[in-house]
Amino acid sequence: MKRIVLSLATLIAFVAIDSRAAEVIPPKPDRYFNDYADVVSKSAAQRFNEQLARFERETSNQVVVGVFPKMQSESDVADYGQRVAQAWGIGSKTQRNGVAVLIFIADRKMSVQVGYGLEGALPDVIAYDIRTNHITPHFRSGDYEGGLSEGIDLIFKAIRGEYKGDGATVREKETSRNRGIPSFFLFIIFVVVLIVISKTMRRRGGYGYSSRGGGPIFFPVGGGGWSSGGGGGFSGFSGGGGSFGGGGSSGSW
Amino acid sequence: MNKFAIGCGGLVVIIIFVAIIAGLALMGTYNRLVKLQQGVDAQWAQVQNVYQRRADLIPNLVNTVQGAANFEKSTLTEITNARASVGRVQLDPNKAPTDAAQLEQFQAAQGQLSNALSRLLVVSERYPELRANQNFLGLQAQLEGTENRISVERNKFNEAVQSYNTAVMTFPTKLFAGMFGFSPRPFFNAQPGAERPPPVQFNFGSPAPATSPAGTP
Repeated sequence: MKRIVLSLATLIAFVAIDSRAAEVIPPKPDRYFNDYADVVSKSAAQRFNEQLARFERETSNQVVVGVFPKMQSESDVADYGQRVAQAWGIGSKTQRNGVAVLIFIADRKMSVQVGYGLEGALPDVIAYDIRTNHITPHFRSGDYEGGLSEGIDLIFKAIRGEYKGDGATVREKETSRNRGIPSFFLFIIFVVVLIVISKTMRRRGGYGYSSRGGGPIFFPVGGGGWSSGGGGGFSGFSGGGGSFGGGGSSGSW
Repeated sequence: MNKFAIGCGGLVVIIIFVAIIAGLALMGTYNRLVKLQQGVDAQWAQVQNVYQRRADLIPNLVNTVQGAANFEKSTLTEITNARASVGRVQLDPNKAPTDAAQLEQFQAAQGQLSNALSRLLVVSERYPELRANQNFLGLQAQLEGTENRISVERNKFNEAVQSYNTAVMTFPTKLFAGMFGFSPRPFFNAQPGAERPPPVQFNFGSPAPATSPAGTP
C-alpha cells in the first residue's frame, strides 16, 4: 500500500517538476532493460533483460539499461545521467554496486554511470574504452543491438567478481517478504491499473510507452503493455538504493 | 488550605512535566543539528577528496603532454602554477569551512586550475601526436570523470549545507542554535564555465569535433 502511495506521490512530483523546469527524471523502471525508443527487437530486449537479471542473482551487481527517444534535460549528458542513475537507486545501498547505461537516441548521446562501489572495478578509463571503442562504433552504423550486447558483456566482464550474489534479485527478495494481504492488495490494484491502461491503449492504439503523440509520457507501472504481448513473464527490477558520484564515461556518437 | 496544597502540587507536577518535555525536545533538536552538521563535514571530505584526485592527475598529465614535440610551454607553466596555488589554499579536510571568505578563496584557486586544465585540453587538440597517445587519452578520460565527480560532490555538499542551514535558521531551532554554537555554513557558488571544462573537448572520439568549446550551455 505504502509503495502505491509512494509511486503516486512520485508521479505527482514528476508532473510538478515537469511544469516547473525543463528537466524530467524518468520514473524508476520496472525491468533491467528498458527500450523506450523501440530500437531493439522485442526478443533481444527480453534476452538482455534476463541476462541482466541473472547477473544480479549471481553477483548482486545491478546493471540497468535505459534507451530513451531523447534527453529531457538541458544539462550535460553526464550530469543528467548521474541524476537519473541516482534517482533510480541502482545497486545496493551499502555496496553501491550499480551501473546505469543510458542512451538518448535523438541526441546521439549516451552515459555510462558507475556507482561508488564499482569505481574500482570499472574505472573511468575502462568505461571510456567500452563506450568509445565498443558501443558507439555500432551505434554509428545504427546497430543498437550489437552495441548494447557488446557493451553489456564488457561491463559484466569488468565488474564480475567484485561482489557476491545470493541467488535472488532485490525484487525477488521484496516479493518473498511481501506475502500476505499487502500483495493481495497490490494484485487488485495492479489488475485495476491494467484494465485502465488497456482501455486507454485501445483508444490510443499504441504500446506502453509513447512519446510520438505529444509530450513524453512515462507510465510508472511499465509492465502493463509489455508482458501481455510478450507471453511469459520477465524478471522485474527494483533498485536497492545505490548511489552514484559521477564515475563512468559519457559523450556523444 | 488543603485544596491550595493540592493545587500547588498539581502545578508543580505540570511544571516538571513541561520541563521534561521541553528538555527532551531540546535534546532531540540538538542531536538533529549535530547529525546534520556531521553530514556537512562528511560531504566536505568527499569534495576535498575529488579535488585531490584531480590534483593528483596533473603531474602525470603534464609529463605526458611534455613528451609531445614542442608543446606550448606557457600552458604547462600555467597548470603548474595553478596547481601550486591550489596547494596553498589548504582547508581542514574533516571540517567544512565556517568562513565564507575561506571557501571563496578555495573555490577561486580550484577555478583557476579548472581554467588552466581546459585550456590545456583545447591546446592539445592541435597536436595529433597527443590525440593518438593512449596514455594521454586515458588521462583525459580520467580527468573527465573527475570533473563529473567534482560537480556531483559539490552539489551534494550544497544540499547538505542547505538542509543544515535551514535547520539552524528556522524558528524555533534558531533560538538556541546559536547558543550551542551552530552557525550557518557557506556553500559553493555556481561559477558557470569556470568550474567545469566544456564537455565537448573530450569528444574527439567522434568524427566531427566541430563545435566550439565555448558554445556549450
